[in-house]
Amino acid sequence: MGVSLKIALAGEGGQGVQSVAEIISEAAYTAGYQALYIPNFGVEQRGGVSLAFVQISREQIGAPKFMLADVVVALSHRAVDRSRQYVGPETLLIYDESLRDEVRSLYGTEQKQLAIPALVVAQQEMHPRVFNVIILGVLMQVADLLERSHVERALERRLGHKFAQDPSLRELNYRALERGYQMGKGGVAV
Amino acid sequence: MVTKPIKGEQRSFMTGNEVIAWAALAAGCEFMYGYPITPQNEIMHYWTRLAPKYERGFLQTEDEISAGFTTIGGVLAGKRVFTATAGPGNVLMQEAMAMAEMMRLPTVVVVTQRGGPSTATVIYSQQELNLTSFGGNGEGLRIVYSPASHDDLFSYTIKAFNSAWKYRFPTFVLGDGYQSKMRAPVTLYDPEERGLTMEPCYPMVGLPGLPGEEREPAHLRNTYNLEEELFAILSDSIKDYESMTPEVVEWEATAIDDAELLIIAHGIVSRAARAAVQVLREEGLKAGLFRPITLRPFPVAELRRLTGQARRLIVVESAYGQLEKMVKTALYGLKIPLRSYLRPGMGITPEEIVQFAKEL
Repeated sequence: MGVSLKIALAGEGGQGVQSVAEIISEAAYTAGYQALYIPNFGVEQRGGVSLAFVQISREQIGAPKFMLADVVVALSHRAVDRSRQYVGPETLLIYDESLRDEVRSLYGTEQKQLAIPALVVAQQEMHPRVFNVIILGVLMQVADLLERSHVERALERRLGHKFAQDPSLRELNYRALERGYQMGKGGVAV
Repeated sequence: MVTKPIKGEQRSFMTGNEVIAWAALAAGCEFMYGYPITPQNEIMHYWTRLAPKYERGFLQTEDEISAGFTTIGGVLAGKRVFTATAGPGNVLMQEAMAMAEMMRLPTVVVVTQRGGPSTATVIYSQQELNLTSFGGNGEGLRIVYSPASHDDLFSYTIKAFNSAWKYRFPTFVLGDGYQSKMRAPVTLYDPEERGLTMEPCYPMVGLPGLPGEEREPAHLRNTYNLEEELFAILSDSIKDYESMTPEVVEWEATAIDDAELLIIAHGIVSRAARAAVQVLREEGLKAGLFRPITLRPFPVAELRRLTGQARRLIVVESAYGQLEKMVKTALYGLKIPLRSYLRPGMGITPEEIVQFAKEL
């Protein structure tokens, strides 16, 4: 893993893609990296594919967007298609297991890829709302760039107010994060 | 004077819209007027959240025409005030800004460019350069700053208040949707702790004393009966504008000394251009970057001087020739080939610029 990382995340509006991007960039910033996160969105308030671009580097970051990502995360059918342009020969594609057919028809088997059962685990073992936190864990494990403590601190900053209202949410989110890290361990190093 | 929001230097990680709200607070801005439009909404959101803590005010108007004119009202009352808008809102605001230009009122407007024409996208563009610089039925006697980073957004929002009140021309910070929505590091500071003195603001109407006897009447006009009257007033304004220009123009030059290929870009695109220059240099091409920071007045003399030994020029912008037109006007008479990479409403990456430069 080098000292710079470009991540493009794509999902349905409401899947929590932007929160993941915000937490990663915040964690990177507090860990002493240069970080830049930019969301991409349409005129609609809900629905549509939600895209987020994150860059982490030891050096000053230039343009907010990039041509090709080191890691692309695609979390819905439409998102697989929409994020295609950011996938190059070296890009690692992370996607939910449920999108396997979609990914295969678009990329074949050549692309570096990692399918994770985040949707099913979130729904059956946890809660649909922590789907994105599982993704966060997977990404952070695969990227292997930031210490877990920085990620957790950023998670607290983003969700701390909700944890304060309902402490069981903290436990749920940390469990989801841990599960994500575990899922990521089986993955390809970037 | 109201409470100071920032003490010392504060490193922070936030969106550009949040940076602008903090900058206005740090500048001692007393009031914001505004009407919601993406991508500037969060300037208002952060401002309304922060303003009560620091005894500042906010008025949401019924549209941008009103936001422009209430900003003028705040200025006439002698307050350091601003508004923010984008796209179609910027179009509506031009009526008030033309009036500010005629009456020499130090209005401050932050523009966060979105795609155009019309509603188009809420995302990003550099297509409001013409509108912001020359949008009124007049001569474009305005000051327009083009920031390229969060630190720029902070500094130039503060500076906009000072330039406006010092020179009394409507002043704009021409940002864009990317800069608004981006989260990136920034250093916030108190301007006075950095040795910057804020230009004093003063009321222009409702002054003490009997008009005509104890003082000159405050006669601020945007209406004239005679061609000669208007011509005299405008001639004075144009003279002021031209004599102000050397003091106000700002630009940034990168790797320019031996540059044979000069890239010209402003705002966020200049960051991609700078990265492209580095790559091109590594590949043995003598590339350099000229970034105008003031778009009005445009750094004409500086660009002409620095273009000196360049053999080729490339203008890069997220618009279809708005910056290119300013560059061509500035370089009139010089015989250097110019090609442009024009992407209206689209973000531009360093890779595209490198490719374009190599294909020339």
